[in-house]
Amino acid sequence: MNALANLANLADLNQERCLIEAAQSDPSRFAELYEGNFHRVYAFVARRVPSRDDAQDVTAEVFHQALKNLGRFQWRGVPFAAWLLRIAANALADRWQRSARGVEVATADAAMDMAEAAEEPEVERRAMLFQLVDRLPADQRLVIMRRFVEQKSVREIALELGRSEGAVKQLQFRALETLRGQVRNSHE
Amino acid sequence: MSNTLMHDELDQAIESMLAHPDGARATCSDEVAELLELAGELRELPRENFKSRLKLELEWEAAGRAVTITADAAQRNSPASRAVSGNSHVMPSLFGKSWAGYPVRRMNFAFSAALHLVMAVFIGAGFLMVKSATPVVDQNPHAVVTLDPYIAPVGTRPEGGGGSGGAREILRASAGAAPRARREQLTPPMVLRMNMQPRIAAEASVIAPPDMTVPRTQQTGDPLSALAAPSNGPGVGGGIGGRAGDGVGTGSGPGRGPGWDGGCCGGAYPPGNGVSMPRAIYQPEPEFSEEARRVKHQGEVTLQAIIGTDGVPRNLMIVRSLGMGLDEKALEAVRTWRFEPGKMNGRAVAVRMNVIVNFRLY
Repeated sequence: MNALANLANLADLNQERCLIEAAQSDPSRFAELYEGNFHRVYAFVARRVPSRDDAQDVTAEVFHQALKNLGRFQWRGVPFAAWLLRIAANALADRWQRSARGVEVATADAAMDMAEAAEEPEVERRAMLFQLVDRLPADQRLVIMRRFVEQKSVREIALELGRSEGAVKQLQFRALETLRGQVRNSHE
Repeated sequence: MSNTLMHDELDQAIESMLAHPDGARATCSDEVAELLELAGELRELPRENFKSRLKLELEWEAAGRAVTITADAAQRNSPASRAVSGNSHVMPSLFGKSWAGYPVRRMNFAFSAALHLVMAVFIGAGFLMVKSATPVVDQNPHAVVTLDPYIAPVGTRPEGGGGSGGAREILRASAGAAPRARREQLTPPMVLRMNMQPRIAAEASVIAPPDMTVPRTQQTGDPLSALAAPSNGPGVGGGIGGRAGDGVGTGSGPGRGPGWDGGCCGGAYPPGNGVSMPRAIYQPEPEFSEEARRVKHQGEVTLQAIIGTDGVPRNLMIVRSLGMGLDEKALEAVRTWRFEPGKMNGRAVAVRMNVIVNFRLY
């Protein structure tokens, strides 16, 4: 099983390398790298900033920097996500340093720690969870977004969708159940 | 536990979690607790359109176009950006923000504004050019001269000379109808009569072909004048106008309108109808041009001239041309000719006539 997993990882790495080289020669191909790493970077950042706005700002900054510096990226057999997370860690460290206002922060060490922490399965799990939300049926996804992102009450969502509160609660339950099932399956 | 109860239990737990993010979780069943943990993680989901919008920004940036980064918290919280954000509701394109999923390029607005400015200048310049090229009628009444008031409306044409007069008054001649035209003038026209009780009363008239009828009005005067105050005009001689003579108008003499020596409206008398033909009394031979002499070109050049009361031909113009330089030679010769002037009732008048110059090689 380990050998098969290694082979799969190797194939993924080769495919990623091709994508990187393609994006380096044609920046419009960067979108494919973005799609494959967005949730990972966001999940990594979101755990380390206090608000959703901050998480979105840092994530945007990471990808803009990555696109800008893509030409300098050298393939060393490490996943592209690691490079992105290093950029994210540096961006977060800069942000903390700015907000600390004179308080000494070991930014380099902090960045290193965070990049290593990125390999934690928790980040991967959360990235996968966010990705799975995108794959939910439209009505379930809508309820999840309204309930947890916009933090609307069931009554408000029911009014917006023109459905009963019971129906909205049912959609919410089914969505969470679906996500739980898919997360379990992916771990097994 | 029924599904409905489980839905309610889960929703209450989520409601409590959202209301107190850092508070202790409510006690609930294992299954609900597991879903609640998942729900807690979903609180960190990005906004609905964030991913697609960021992707669009990156695509624009990859295409080499400058874009406004969607949300920079530091910039968003700065006082300057807050000031801008107030204005951005008025014109989002100008301040680089947009509610749509498209990144906004400020340069687009600049280019658009510049293009509109250029177009406005171009169109404006077009209007100015058209305006300047449009002929503008001079509103100066002295420059716009229509001779209609001097002449009869039907069946006649302006011919003969003109007239003027005056009594050395300060004011210009006053408005009014031109007096009747006659072959002989007994009394010159006057707006202000010097002698109110003449021994022999005669109708004031000007010398012009009598077939020209002029409508009568109460007031005699210059038909082209706009002055209401009665005045004979600053001219001399007893007529109405600004020059010398017994007539009416801007010319000089006993006629009407511009021109001289009687008649009307700036021309000269045609011969006949009581007007005698001028007779040449000095007519040196014209020279041949070298070009015509070489090819033995010969014939006649017909000129039209007005022979003044002094016998000098004026206003020469070619009626029938011969070419090869002979026209110019004919003009040179006729200018030196002298005539006995045409006469009407024994008095010399300007007469328009044709002069034929022969070029013959023997």
